[in-house]
Amino acid sequence: MIEFKNINKSYKLGKNNTVAALKDININIKEGSVVVLKGSSGSGKSSILSLVSAISKPTSGEVIVDNKQISKLSDRFASEYRLNNIGIVFQKYNLVEDISVEQNVILPLIPKNLDSDLVESKVDTALDMFGIKHYKNSTVKNLSGGEQQRVAIARAYINEPKIIIADEPTANLDEKLSLDFIEIIKDLKKQNKTVIIATHDPLFFNLDIVDKYIEMKNGSII
Amino acid sequence: MILSPEILTIYILNFLFFVFGLIALNLSVKIYLKYDKNSSEPIQYTLERQSYLASTIIKYIFIVKVPLFLFFIFTLDKLSNVLSGAMCGAGVLDATDYGTMLITLKVLNIYLFALWLVLNTEDVKHENQPYIKIKFALFIVLFALFLSEILIESYTFYNFEIDKLVSCCGTLYSSTSDSIVSNIFAIDNKILVSIFYANFALITFAYVFKSKYMYAISNLLFIVVSIVSLIMFFGTYIYELPSHHCPFCYLQSDYYYIGYLLYALLFMGTFNGIMALFKDDLF
Repeated sequence: MIEFKNINKSYKLGKNNTVAALKDININIKEGSVVVLKGSSGSGKSSILSLVSAISKPTSGEVIVDNKQISKLSDRFASEYRLNNIGIVFQKYNLVEDISVEQNVILPLIPKNLDSDLVESKVDTALDMFGIKHYKNSTVKNLSGGEQQRVAIARAYINEPKIIIADEPTANLDEKLSLDFIEIIKDLKKQNKTVIIATHDPLFFNLDIVDKYIEMKNGSII
Repeated sequence: MILSPEILTIYILNFLFFVFGLIALNLSVKIYLKYDKNSSEPIQYTLERQSYLASTIIKYIFIVKVPLFLFFIFTLDKLSNVLSGAMCGAGVLDATDYGTMLITLKVLNIYLFALWLVLNTEDVKHENQPYIKIKFALFIVLFALFLSEILIESYTFYNFEIDKLVSCCGTLYSSTSDSIVSNIFAIDNKILVSIFYANFALITFAYVFKSKYMYAISNLLFIVVSIVSLIMFFGTYIYELPSHHCPFCYLQSDYYYIGYLLYALLFMGTFNGIMALFKDDLF
């Protein structure tokens, strides 16, 4: 369960210039649900994602995940929370292009210092699930956009997080690949993962799998 | 007044410490007065962010302060070449009224800074940061001591007079001296060495039997016992001279700077022992 209570978030842009990215936001997201954050650029979607993933802290209010106030965590505990609970798919994938698919997908496991056999089996499971096992040893820069996105999803999934966050996941994909991504979301939902997607792609706006649409404008929910 | 490059370096660093320390002090006071872990108000989030800044400043002051203390000792030794009558740092410290107080304050401040560091490490290990108010309250006290140290140090350096004759360590550390130090010469060496080893045995005993308080207190006691034993007994073997009792001369090149190693081990070891009071996982 993810809860936003009276969240305000503002950014300082210079000495006397403060921008309110989120204004008095209250949200409840149930475990295992798929939530789509709609809205134009600058509406506050990404700010919500960064608060859920404890990348940033609110200016005021509380972000509670599974009864734990994650907005109050220190950097060290926020990293730990992120490592164990959050998988992130970035708009531009944020992959390390010069290394292999396997090496990219392994990255979130490094801090856990797991046994190499266990790592190997986790990598195989994740790559298999997203249909890219045959690219295991390929260098990321040689893959297409859709394939790179699957690598990014596999990397987000490998720690088996409860919450998967995707920021504009289809911004760089054509319609067919975007539909493939929606199929992946369905699979994740079946596994009871909470998926939060920030997008302004109309493909997401009438989907059966989506439990909740949150439309945002100028930092407020409309 | 002497303005050697070493003294100038210390002045500049002290000024920087003062400026950054003042920023940390301002934040520490705010955190101490207004920090409320349960609050979700903007002020609380601001204080949480500022606590990282204050902690970083204090950590870096400490990191520079430790080598600066060694540099201070080195400076005292170097100044002994300039002051008439001084043979080592002991004579230089005796040249003004506050020399002994200065070095005592410097050692105390290093211990307190290190204590702050231990508190900070323990604090950030826990999700609810149980020591956050204590550590910033400690820094407020520490800053007052730190400021006193800077002022006394500046006073000491300012009042050095090249043409004034000062005492050498042979005079200062002798039974005929009229200082407090002369009192230790009344102790019999056999008794002193027995106390030294008994204290060491007590530390070992406390460690083996995991007695936290005994371990900390015996380590605290060991600082005094060790320094007196060094002056009265062990030092004479380093000098190969039974009548020489200076605690500074073995910091010089003639004795291969062995004093730095002895003092560093003594201070680090005893500090670690005293910190048993604040750590859960020492044993």
